[in-house]
Amino acid sequence: MMTNPALAVEDLAVLHGEQALVRDISFEIPAGGVFTLLGESGSGKSLLAQAIMGNLPSTLRCEGRVAIGGEKTPAGDQSSRHRGWGRRLALLPQEPWLALDPTMMVRAQVAETYAVVANEPRSRARMLADRALASLGLSDAAHKYPFMLSGGMAQRVAFLATHAAGAPLMIIDEPTKGLDADRRGEVLELLRSAQAQGMSLLCITHDIWLARALGGRLAVMLEGAMIEQGEAAEVLAAPRHDYTRRLLAADPGSWPAWPAPAVAPDAHPIVQVDQVGKSYGRQALFSGIDAHIKAGEIVAVSGPSGSGKTTFGNIVLGLARPDSGSVQRAAGLALTAFQKIQQDPGAAFAPRIRLRQSLLDLVKLHRLDWGVLDALLARMRLAPALLDRLPHQVSGGELQRIALARVLLMKPALIFADEPTSRLDPVTQQDVFALLQEHLRDARCALLLVTHDADIVDRVAGRRIDLGR
Amino acid sequence: MTTISSRAPAWRGIATALAQRLLQAVLVALLVGTLCFFMTRMLPGDMAYRIAAGRYGYDMVTSAAAEAVRLELGLDRPWLAALGDWWQRLLQLDLGVSQVTAEPVMVEIERQLWPTLRLSVLAMFLSLLVGPLLGVLAGLKPGGLLDRVTLAVSVVLRALPSFLLGLVLVLVFSVKLGILPAAGHDDHGSIVLPALTLALGMAAVSCRVARDAMVQVRGSAYFAFALTKGLSMRQALLRHGLRNVAAPVIAYLGVQLVYLVEGVVLVETIFAWPGIGHALVHAIFGRDVPMIQGTALVLGLMFVLFNALVDTACAFIDPRRGAGHAA
Amino acid sequence: MTTAYSPSSDLVLDEAPRRLGRAQRAGIALLVVIALFALFGPWLVGIDPARQQLERFLEAPSLAHPLGFDQLGRSMLARLAHGARLSLSLAAISVLSAAIPGTLLGLLAAWRGGWLERVLAAFADAVLALPGLLLVLLLTAFTPGGFWPLYVGISLALWVEYFRVVRAASRILLASPHVEAARLLGFGPVHIVRRHLLPELLPRLFTLMRFGFAGAVLAMSALGFVGVGLQPPTPELGVMMIELLPYYGEAPWLIGAPVLLLFLTLLGLLLLAPEREAA
Repeated sequence: MMTNPALAVEDLAVLHGEQALVRDISFEIPAGGVFTLLGESGSGKSLLAQAIMGNLPSTLRCEGRVAIGGEKTPAGDQSSRHRGWGRRLALLPQEPWLALDPTMMVRAQVAETYAVVANEPRSRARMLADRALASLGLSDAAHKYPFMLSGGMAQRVAFLATHAAGAPLMIIDEPTKGLDADRRGEVLELLRSAQAQGMSLLCITHDIWLARALGGRLAVMLEGAMIEQGEAAEVLAAPRHDYTRRLLAADPGSWPAWPAPAVAPDAHPIVQVDQVGKSYGRQALFSGIDAHIKAGEIVAVSGPSGSGKTTFGNIVLGLARPDSGSVQRAAGLALTAFQKIQQDPGAAFAPRIRLRQSLLDLVKLHRLDWGVLDALLARMRLAPALLDRLPHQVSGGELQRIALARVLLMKPALIFADEPTSRLDPVTQQDVFALLQEHLRDARCALLLVTHDADIVDRVAGRRIDLGR
Repeated sequence: MTTISSRAPAWRGIATALAQRLLQAVLVALLVGTLCFFMTRMLPGDMAYRIAAGRYGYDMVTSAAAEAVRLELGLDRPWLAALGDWWQRLLQLDLGVSQVTAEPVMVEIERQLWPTLRLSVLAMFLSLLVGPLLGVLAGLKPGGLLDRVTLAVSVVLRALPSFLLGLVLVLVFSVKLGILPAAGHDDHGSIVLPALTLALGMAAVSCRVARDAMVQVRGSAYFAFALTKGLSMRQALLRHGLRNVAAPVIAYLGVQLVYLVEGVVLVETIFAWPGIGHALVHAIFGRDVPMIQGTALVLGLMFVLFNALVDTACAFIDPRRGAGHAA
Repeated sequence: MTTAYSPSSDLVLDEAPRRLGRAQRAGIALLVVIALFALFGPWLVGIDPARQQLERFLEAPSLAHPLGFDQLGRSMLARLAHGARLSLSLAAISVLSAAIPGTLLGLLAAWRGGWLERVLAAFADAVLALPGLLLVLLLTAFTPGGFWPLYVGISLALWVEYFRVVRAASRILLASPHVEAARLLGFGPVHIVRRHLLPELLPRLFTLMRFGFAGAVLAMSALGFVGVGLQPPTPELGVMMIELLPYYGEAPWLIGAPVLLLFLTLLGLLLLAPEREAA
């Protein structure tokens, strides 16, 4: 006997006026199965999820058919799917720590779903909530407020809160976004346990590692269309479309290892860090760290989150003072020889000044040649027209490349890159690192890198400094 | 992991806030006391003579009596020492005697405090009844009729500060229509206009604060999540919306307290309401320094006390404030 | 390899140029009219506001004298014009006296920190302990009816706001990533203030100035009204209001004029607010 698929989508399209933002979407999720939508930002995967949920903004309209658990509805009839929220269809949103009411305790938020949506009496709802929290190891968190939880804990709480009414189909939106790479395993476990309980999952992500680990079926999205669809293992092993190949190649796991720079063994280090330690109030972040970085070396700084990797970098740059130990630069280096690339490229530019003006100020200050900057920008494939915009009008990837050009203009001896690509898409990330590699090699510039992606550290760094105890 | 009670941060936050308010109360006392001290030294005319005249009457006063007062109040001593004496008396709550009525300041203030409290509490209550309610309703449909009407009314009311609004209300209700008594304090009707004046001014602002808070909450990620969890709009509003709207509204009360205390002074004077504000203005007229000090002190301390109450309410509603996080 | 410029930024929505809303234009229009009246009114009207012609007691408005005469036979229009000039000029001077030192000290405190910041902050806290009007009232008690206590009191109460806001905002800005980047790139304090601090501070300062101006005009008239500010026969809006209140029945336009002028000034200042502001 054939059971109805958990979700069946036919010819779905999302339109803004006459323009199709998402088109020709057809796929099925069998009961108890997993389906992954893989794509970068702007590919339309989030819009598609919203359309399936029935949560599109009123300026957009939807065409096609959506069937949840066998019940067919025209895709444009969003209110019919509204009624199923929580009971037939659940959503685990992006950045779930924002999805929890900051003024309500954790247990109350989970119990609420049991009480209000599943119609359990209050006392039983509380008991069920306690049991659910315990099943995911969150008993301690029951009486806490969301701001006291870590990202992963908040995610699990949100999962429980949205699952409590027993919806058999759950849409999961970018579950690994904003979490450290070492937390990805926990996310996978969460999703696997959901599947074990008989749930069907639709997972939206740009994380190839997660797509591979989840298995099931997979579709790759680009510019609003599904360019490839099939069993996850097959698609990832033998992609047919060019873009999929590029996407897979952009995964740091597939990068070729960077060749080690030629460093003379007795060369004088450009910066000498001896027995450096730093505390935050009464808590010691790290202590007794030694690092002698020579020209051209690529060093990764690792450690658990909150261990002060950014602070360490700032100490090396001279922006912060260590509580113990010393930092010594090589003699003869310019004041601006040490530079930094930030995690959020938008934050590194004065927000109300046009980019061209900011760069002109720099060129004037150091009496540099604008032509050099022009050449750098061209090599980074940045249209000159971008400079006439304000920082927030430019995409993250482009802004990070402009930041990189700005830094390289100073001919630095050391660049501290603090999570330079964690906010960027995989292909853009690969781009930035490729550019970085090219210029570091040319300028014999050292790189101090902070990244939570173990694959990147593996491929890129020559050695590591571990801040963890 | 040790189970830290999640209530602990709230108490810590309240303790810090209260300590700050205590410090503020001390500052108020110092500021008011010092200013009044210098007033006695700098007002035109011989201070001692006038105080003596106040006590014994202008016909009966002699230069000997004035001299005795001068010695008593230490007006002949170097000002630093005298200042110390002044502060000491202040700390002992010895507020002296009114120069106009010859009654102890404490007695006068006790008589005036109650009407002021009645007025302020009633005004605050009325404004909280009307303002946030209309604001929340307006915020549910941004751009809708109620929203635009409340915005227009709010702008007009804010352009009519307390004394102007009071004046307009007097002109409209008392003079033109002859309905409500303008001044006096004997019948119950007479609290209506002053309270209404203050309440309307505050409601105009709290309405918009509530409206903006409602719009922000409606657009927030946690509100959307409540809906996708399966709650109906009504359930989501009651369970998540209201508490999160209350937080900024109550926090804004702290700012409105400035308007309230300033307004109390003006409104009491316009409507001749026999409270502390009215007494302060009269004391300034009459150069009655002990009364100036007493009334200003009470008003200032009332301001600090109300602020402390608002701080406590804030910490309870929003646990992030209690823990010292930015809300 | 073709130099393909990344297309992604083309998807960035075109920002609508920042135009003034209807309300803001109305506010500007109101304020310009009132400012012109205050500036040129006394000269245009040409009549001495103190000249009494008792036989013209409460004379009704006419074409030659659009606001008629008050209870002492003085030209109401002349008094109104002089009153407007008085209020607006005092408010303007107070705001400037407060804004410039307040901003500079706030910047200095945030930048240097240390004992200077602590002393200034303590002083600001002391002033803030009392509501502004109360402070002004206490200061007027020194010389009731005088101009100086009003000016000093209002400026002091306003100064604190600038100091506090600029200091708090500057502290956050000085710790921000873009200032950090500017320092690393070798920029000095002047550049950082000019490009990184001031553009962020100016909107807030503008809001403070609006409120400060409104507050100053208000404080003057309120105190004039209750009798502890400027005294009759000075043509001050609040003083005029209390003088003309008894004649409301017979000559309502007389008290209506200063009330309307004050209301429109405050309304104009309020309307200047950008749409997103709450209060």
